[in-house]
Amino acid sequence: MNHKFQEVDLMKRTLTSVLVAGALFSLAGAPAVAAVTDKDIENDAKSTGDVLSWGLGTQGQRYSPLAKINTKNVKDLVPVWSFSFGGEKQRGQESQPVIHNGRMFVTGSYSRLFALDAKTGKKLWQYEHRLPDGIMPCCDVVNRGAALYDNLVIFATLDAQLVALDQGSGKVVWKEKIDEYSAGYSATAAPIIAKGLVLTGVSGGEFGVIGRVEARDAKTGKMVWVRPTVEGHMGMKDGKENGVSGTTNATWPGDLWKTGGAATWLGGTYDPETGLAYFGTGNPAPWNSALRPGDNLYSCSTVAIDVATGKIVWHFQGTPNDGWDYDGVNEFVTFKSKDGKHLGGKADRNGFFYVLDAKSGKFQKGFPFVKKITWATGLDENGRPKFDPANRPGDPAKSADGKKGTSVFSAPSFLGGKNQMPMAYSPDTGYFYVPANEWGMEIWNEPVTYKKGAAYLGAGFTIKTLDSKEIGGDYIGAMRAIDPATGKIVWEVKNNAPLWGGVMTTKGGLVFWGTPEGYLKAADAKTGKEVWSFQTGSGVVAPPISWEQDGEQYIGVASGWGGAVPLWGGDVAKKVNYLNQGGSMWVFKLHKSGK
Amino acid sequence: MLRCGILVFLLWAGAVHAAAGDDPLQSPQWTDLKQRYLGAARVVFDPQVVVTGPKVAEDSMNVPVGVKISGLADVRRVLVVADLNPIVKVLEFSAQGALPVLHFRMKLQQGSPVRAMAETADGVWHVGGIWIDASGGGCTAPSVGRGTANWHETLGQVQSRVWPGEQQSRVKVNIMHPMDTGLAPGIPAFFIERLALQDATGREWMRIDTFEPVSENPVFSFDFPGTPPPGLSLVGRDNNGNRINARVAQ
Repeated sequence: MNHKFQEVDLMKRTLTSVLVAGALFSLAGAPAVAAVTDKDIENDAKSTGDVLSWGLGTQGQRYSPLAKINTKNVKDLVPVWSFSFGGEKQRGQESQPVIHNGRMFVTGSYSRLFALDAKTGKKLWQYEHRLPDGIMPCCDVVNRGAALYDNLVIFATLDAQLVALDQGSGKVVWKEKIDEYSAGYSATAAPIIAKGLVLTGVSGGEFGVIGRVEARDAKTGKMVWVRPTVEGHMGMKDGKENGVSGTTNATWPGDLWKTGGAATWLGGTYDPETGLAYFGTGNPAPWNSALRPGDNLYSCSTVAIDVATGKIVWHFQGTPNDGWDYDGVNEFVTFKSKDGKHLGGKADRNGFFYVLDAKSGKFQKGFPFVKKITWATGLDENGRPKFDPANRPGDPAKSADGKKGTSVFSAPSFLGGKNQMPMAYSPDTGYFYVPANEWGMEIWNEPVTYKKGAAYLGAGFTIKTLDSKEIGGDYIGAMRAIDPATGKIVWEVKNNAPLWGGVMTTKGGLVFWGTPEGYLKAADAKTGKEVWSFQTGSGVVAPPISWEQDGEQYIGVASGWGGAVPLWGGDVAKKVNYLNQGGSMWVFKLHKSGK
Repeated sequence: MLRCGILVFLLWAGAVHAAAGDDPLQSPQWTDLKQRYLGAARVVFDPQVVVTGPKVAEDSMNVPVGVKISGLADVRRVLVVADLNPIVKVLEFSAQGALPVLHFRMKLQQGSPVRAMAETADGVWHVGGIWIDASGGGCTAPSVGRGTANWHETLGQVQSRVWPGEQQSRVKVNIMHPMDTGLAPGIPAFFIERLALQDATGREWMRIDTFEPVSENPVFSFDFPGTPPPGLSLVGRDNNGNRINARVAQ
């Protein structure tokens, strides 16, 4: 374009004036392609014209400071456009879109990425990653979103690769392999950016992979540091050894740590104020806990990693020696308490909500956010669970035939009090908005040995619904407003099917979330009164976003039923098996009457 | 006055100016295609740009085509197109020390003109081409590789051979890649988009931008004046960012 411009000018001007005109042209052109900087990302939670990170800010509060849409006018919220992800791949859309320069970048199932005009929904380009036939995602072919940095949009693929594309053209700029998909590795989480580094985890906890957090130069993809989340494994920084995670064999017997799991499959959050990245870690492998006496660090934990050094500063373990797949990857969301403390909240898959000091990880408070917890009777003063030994699935080696351990009924189910769907925090109300599920499971252990690329569970299980008398109704999902200061559930909105989409809250006093039944809903953030809903045509299992463009506030959410529930559903199937798959992006704004 | 200028040029170059309707191949697409790829630049049909290929393609997914440019000085780049393919652009190459000659295999969706369009330093495009008849379907069928389970293991592997000569040498390479066009239902486009022959110092001797119509597991032949430079490797990548990097056999 520049070249052409100069050619035209050559005909009527002197060479000098052409050069001047050329220089002006490039200056004028520059702001239109403003690159995403670290400063932009650190300010993402406050800026309203863009959504640069998973979590609407790397702290993960999912709070929009926009109030143009509010409790009074939300009834006038109407669709602006809808975009189909197309093809035959209508499955499990768990993606949170990101917005920059009027462009929306949203990932779809099967490692696809779409660039759309945020205002009109017009497609700008799409990228479809070529996947090998042998990929092994445990829990559907999902992707949770992309990260933006510089002129790049970066996302992870089901065959465990990271791809960075030019935001304008959709051309691949760099691509790096995280690990071998044939060994069970995959990647579904949205990367986050901290200090010019792109931070990612790994999926594959059901295949005995090694959980870890990796930091690469976001512009080039070059590896900067690796921090394993299983004790005994060596970390690396700038190509050199950077210390073992923990102390080898301190909490793991024998060689089991070598295939120890603790996958960081939901990615992480980052708080620029502490300089720490917080990554949740999954279940230890295999599921059969009788094989691995000890706490099995750093499984089922939150690890806080200093982004500058690649070392673990603190960790907090929700479920030591996990025997129920209480895979604690859940996001750690930092916030300022009313008495001015810098804290973080986590609604763990094990049914407890933890409040920790953001800087030190010191336990402040813990309480159940689901109504039925069988495996522990409570937490001690350090937040460690008081186990009920009778509720741990039995050791198969101690059974009569050595093939099946004692079966127990446990709650929550292995799909958790909360799973991948991220919660939101409102600094206005001081509440966390947690998409919770009430369910249980029969679970028993079986003998197992590790084989590369094969499922490494050593357990059998089936999901059960709970007695409606115990939980106060015939439901599984419950959107709950939780006060981290008191541990009380302030309000709840029940849902027949399990909730699987994330949450967003706004300055306009609203909480938005989707349901498998296909609704995007809004409720009053203070009272929980439902004030708006819209049927998107397929189940919503993705978190909503909001941004402002040309003076108007927009709400967006991806729709498309899928994810882990229909794959592992057990008894729950009857609540969800009628739901149709889909794949589309919906965007809403306030209706204005025609003039 | 404009017409007069063209006439002078015509006589001087010994080539035929390409106005709409004067296409020697009588292609219904030529006017649009010229506008799209060459814009307002001067275009001449030039016998020095030679395209070779079969009269009738035996296999629409593997049509052998050769492009040879002789006698033209300062060829900047050469664009190869197939007028009637659903994806018109086949490849673009630029010889920077290798001879401006390229042999390869491509897909044809139906009988079509196949043209080479060479841009010289003066901004003029020199066009030559032939009509290749084909039973068709080459662009909308899935690649063979798509149906095999192990395409991923051989992806980007390169086989090569050199035929050295004192006057002229030939280098032939074969790259494993499905080269899916994106036009077969449910199979996204997946193709090599850039290749270069580099010597040990990193100097490029030949660069090719490739597009979807290049055949699966592409084969290319390059010609060098005299013996090929030492330490030659083939480097490149596909549209997913998968890298190709292989030493060419000596």
